[in-house]
Amino acid sequence: MTTTLLPALLSAGHGAVPLSTTLLFTGLLVSMIVCLALEEVLHAKKSVIVGAHAVVCLLLGAAFHLLPFGPIENVFGEKLNIPVYIPAIDWGVIAIILGSSLFVDLTSKSGLFTWIALKLTKASGGDPRKLLWAYGLMTVIFSAVLNNVTAMIIVGSLTGVSLKRLGRERLLLGFLLVEGLLTNIGGLLTLISSVPNIIVGRAAGISFMKFFVAAAPFVVVATILTLLLGAKLFGIHGLRDQEERDEAAEKVAGFDENDGIESPGFFWFGVAMLVLFIITVATCSVLPWVSDLGLGFVALAFALIMLLRFKSEADRHYQALDWDLLAFFAALFVVIHVMEHAQVLALIGQGVEKIIGLGDIGGPASVLVASAGFSSVTDNIPLAAMLAKILQGLGTPADSALWWAVVFGANLGGNLTPIGSASSLVAVTIIHRQGLKLSFAQFVKHALPFALLQLAVAVVYVLLVLR
Amino acid sequence: MTQIDQFESVFRAADKPVPHPEEVRFERILFVTGRSGEARESRLDALRSYLAVLETDRGAHWTIGTAESPTDLPVLLKEVEESPPDLICADRGLQGVVSSMHALGTVLECLTQATDVPVLVLPHPDERQLPATTTRVMVLTDHLTGDDRLVNCAAAFTAPDGRLTLSHVEDAATFRRYVDLISRIPEIDTDLAEETLRRQVLKEPADAIDSWRSALKEAGHGFDIESVVLLGHHLDEHRRLVEERETDLVVMNTKDDDQLAMHGLAHPLAVELRDVPLLML
Repeated sequence: MTTTLLPALLSAGHGAVPLSTTLLFTGLLVSMIVCLALEEVLHAKKSVIVGAHAVVCLLLGAAFHLLPFGPIENVFGEKLNIPVYIPAIDWGVIAIILGSSLFVDLTSKSGLFTWIALKLTKASGGDPRKLLWAYGLMTVIFSAVLNNVTAMIIVGSLTGVSLKRLGRERLLLGFLLVEGLLTNIGGLLTLISSVPNIIVGRAAGISFMKFFVAAAPFVVVATILTLLLGAKLFGIHGLRDQEERDEAAEKVAGFDENDGIESPGFFWFGVAMLVLFIITVATCSVLPWVSDLGLGFVALAFALIMLLRFKSEADRHYQALDWDLLAFFAALFVVIHVMEHAQVLALIGQGVEKIIGLGDIGGPASVLVASAGFSSVTDNIPLAAMLAKILQGLGTPADSALWWAVVFGANLGGNLTPIGSASSLVAVTIIHRQGLKLSFAQFVKHALPFALLQLAVAVVYVLLVLR
Repeated sequence: MTQIDQFESVFRAADKPVPHPEEVRFERILFVTGRSGEARESRLDALRSYLAVLETDRGAHWTIGTAESPTDLPVLLKEVEESPPDLICADRGLQGVVSSMHALGTVLECLTQATDVPVLVLPHPDERQLPATTTRVMVLTDHLTGDDRLVNCAAAFTAPDGRLTLSHVEDAATFRRYVDLISRIPEIDTDLAEETLRRQVLKEPADAIDSWRSALKEAGHGFDIESVVLLGHHLDEHRRLVEERETDLVVMNTKDDDQLAMHGLAHPLAVELRDVPLLML
């Protein structure tokens, strides 16, 4: 298998490249990954780190004659003069992230998400254990439907306010940590729940529904196990007697779920659009015309429909977008494109092939654990993008467990350290905002039992169900 | 992490104090007067008629305190301290001042600051007659949010077929001061900040009044409840609101939690609104 697939991967480089050149670019890739891991220490945004590396890569790529300069021909035979770094970017991924971020931000203005969050808080009656389950499930669903960073921000913010209202500040750490861990589980539920899913799913050609059906059982099991373990380890118990229940219920009764709703009409419009968005995304692959335009078009179209409500102040909402993230993705695709031509991916692919060569069981299990380990110390997006490209180059079939190993490993690895995923970082930020101290080592100490449990279940699940 | 702050703000705004409507009874009432004989009896009759709403099935128990000479004041204070009534009613200008035009009078100054008992300040008998009933009651406050005692007392004084006005005036000068400061900070959009701040400072009291409206209706009160929330000059706006509504009784807090003395706004209001009975809590 190794000998037959490697040439395909090497051919992506479009020509022989001296090993010294490949090693030089490998050094640049390592430098970028190390800088991303030390993002907080360097006080530099991801987009700047990767952007700087992209500039250097392009310059060196041009100097070493690695880049495919020249016109690009489209399906009509028309030749287009496009700068070499433009087709390097996967605009489909950028469109999905840009569109869905804007759509989620605008939908949140309807008050829908805060309404759901406060309704659930009141339904719990202020009982800490019920609250943990309510917030846990909300985190998973919001992570799946929106994205894991937004989910953590919404649920984490509410947790801070509601636990203080209930006088349960001592439970804050447990709640916020469990919610942070659950964002990465919820991020596994759908194709658009996290960026690694989008990248790997697009590379493997996995449809939204196929992804959901494959991932949902694991998400359910992992969520239940995480919540049970969280309640046990952090001592989150139910209320003891009726007096405590009455007192807690009165405290949460003060939350007005309608406060954030400026217009009932826009609220219901937000509900309708969210439902329609989920349905359209789920059926995108079978919808005429839409399937050709792709998920990115769906996300952008829905964002634009929501934007009509704010047509006179659209510029204000553009500011809410995470431009750092978008620029990071664009630059990352450029770096990976250059790495591909410099045969760096082929070199890494040789290592990956050795892991895959461990067999039907050892291969996917090792890829999953290695992906998790890598994701825990640096951003999981470069990993997903690189592995997706490598697996694609190796001609890995769409139903291979290896794709799922990358998806599960890249997402769950974020639970091992506070820098493992953007949502973990948000969880730690909220924990610090609440005046709680949590160092890197303390996070790892608290999160390790959860992460090991989730990874063990994931390995078993991928091997038994998805292989 | 501006988004965290945004959502925290949304949830904090949604976290509202829950009103606790409770029946407040004023069964033991002390009437302090500087008059004697027939004038005293006549004044007492008018007062009892005015406060008919307080007469429960068991009836209110009225006592009369004397403030005819300066030596009466220590005795009066001692009596109030030893056996505090539920309510003290007193005319303006008792002792120590020539006219009631610009001061409450020594007795009221002492009573309002030396005791926690609600004090009903009555207009000077020579200047203004008491209203017939407490049909139009107005609550004045600059911090209505969460103030159960204030509204419950006002509700107890409002006639069943009357109208309770819950008013809140946000100080325009303070508001302008902050907007002026914001206008000097380049990172903040001044127009947006002013609009948002204005909306929020008026929204919170308006929400609190709405909560009270529902809570009082649920508690079985039949009177109408009116909400007035605006930005302006405290004294001018309160005076205008009281006059426009021909108010029979004004209810207000006079003490902060951490001090016995009247707070900054209460004293000028008490002096300015001299034609209307004032319930000072």
